[in-house]
Amino acid sequence: MRSSNSYTYFFVIAMAIISALMLSVMKINLQERQEFNKALDTRKNVLKTVGALSPEMSDSDVEEFYMSKFTKQVFPDGKGGEREYYTFGLAERPEGYVFPVSGKGVWSTINGFIALEPDKNTIKGISFYDHGETPGLGGEIEKDFFSRRFVGKKIFKDGELVSVTIAKSKLLEQSEHAVDGLSGASLTTGSINRFLRDDLTEYLPLLRESDEEEALLR
Amino acid sequence: MKKTLDTFAGPLSRSNPITTQVLGICSALAVTVKMDTALVMSGALVFVLVGSNVIVSALREVIPSRVRIIVMLTIIATLVIFIDELLKAYLYDISKQLSIFVGLIITNCIVLGRAEAFALKNTVWESSLDGLGNAMGYGLILLLVSAARELFGSGSLFGFQIIPDFLYVEHGGWYVNNGLMLLAPGAFIILGLLIWLQRTINGYTEE
Repeated sequence: MRSSNSYTYFFVIAMAIISALMLSVMKINLQERQEFNKALDTRKNVLKTVGALSPEMSDSDVEEFYMSKFTKQVFPDGKGGEREYYTFGLAERPEGYVFPVSGKGVWSTINGFIALEPDKNTIKGISFYDHGETPGLGGEIEKDFFSRRFVGKKIFKDGELVSVTIAKSKLLEQSEHAVDGLSGASLTTGSINRFLRDDLTEYLPLLRESDEEEALLR
Repeated sequence: MKKTLDTFAGPLSRSNPITTQVLGICSALAVTVKMDTALVMSGALVFVLVGSNVIVSALREVIPSRVRIIVMLTIIATLVIFIDELLKAYLYDISKQLSIFVGLIITNCIVLGRAEAFALKNTVWESSLDGLGNAMGYGLILLLVSAARELFGSGSLFGFQIIPDFLYVEHGGWYVNNGLMLLAPGAFIILGLLIWLQRTINGYTEE
């Protein structure tokens, strides 16, 4: 009986149903908390890009800072849809802009934020917070030592959007538009180069706006 | 009684899963940069290993032997997903740092190895002790390796600064953290030294 096919089928099916049931019940119970954590983590990363996140901040501090300093804006993406971005600081006198960027990495979709100074050219900060890249290789993109390299780089060169390129290795000569690469992460950083430029291009009308305004002011 | 004690205490040193059997090395290298991740990882393994040993042992009479490996893997995977989801809900930051390594407990040779080699043949009580002993043997090595790596690599233990600030070059001292310790080769070196030390003390040799 124990070795009959029907018993084996019965056992395996029962086993699968019981485990699936247990996991589903647990997931339903934990989902709310997990989503809250995820949302909080996203906010922490928005704060990080503008350099406002410090380790002493409690969860409610993050929440409060986020609520008081950032304003969500929407902007038509030219394909009938909308894209969100955030302004940092007061509406009349923004201290920066945070744009979500995302794209395909090697194993996963990489999500990140890029913050620009009010000149809409200089990078204030960057952060890749949600990805499934190989830990230790492509996964290093989430580390601070890597994101710090972007600070102060420029995305426009003589009025043309050139984005910032992550080099394959160490930069041979200093550039305002490129940063040192990560060894073992050529594919991941290659995709970041691609989607960073693509996403910034989508935001281009928005980025140009200020140039004209500033030109008028001048 | 002697045998029961041995089931628990053996894996802590003499038949330690990492240093003697050299299992579970991958995660031992990956999560030992900091002590807090190592501690949470060890906790997760204690939960999974005790859980899987107890369940497999309780079901050992009814599991069809032809599909036993897949059944054991289902049990292990269920427990691993359980702990992974729990970490995501209650220890989000650490779960983010552990990334895929909690999920990879499913393929940790220690877990399936103990289920197949021990839990299928022994009572629930003995299996739970065996699971606890092996998981703690794993955790012990993880904590030792991570203590060495965090102390020499970051100058701290559990995130608390141990090496005083004024010794560092940035503050006018002479000390620099050893970057090698933060990388996988650093873990290999520490692990190698531990294995050497332990085998010297126990007089263990590969035949």
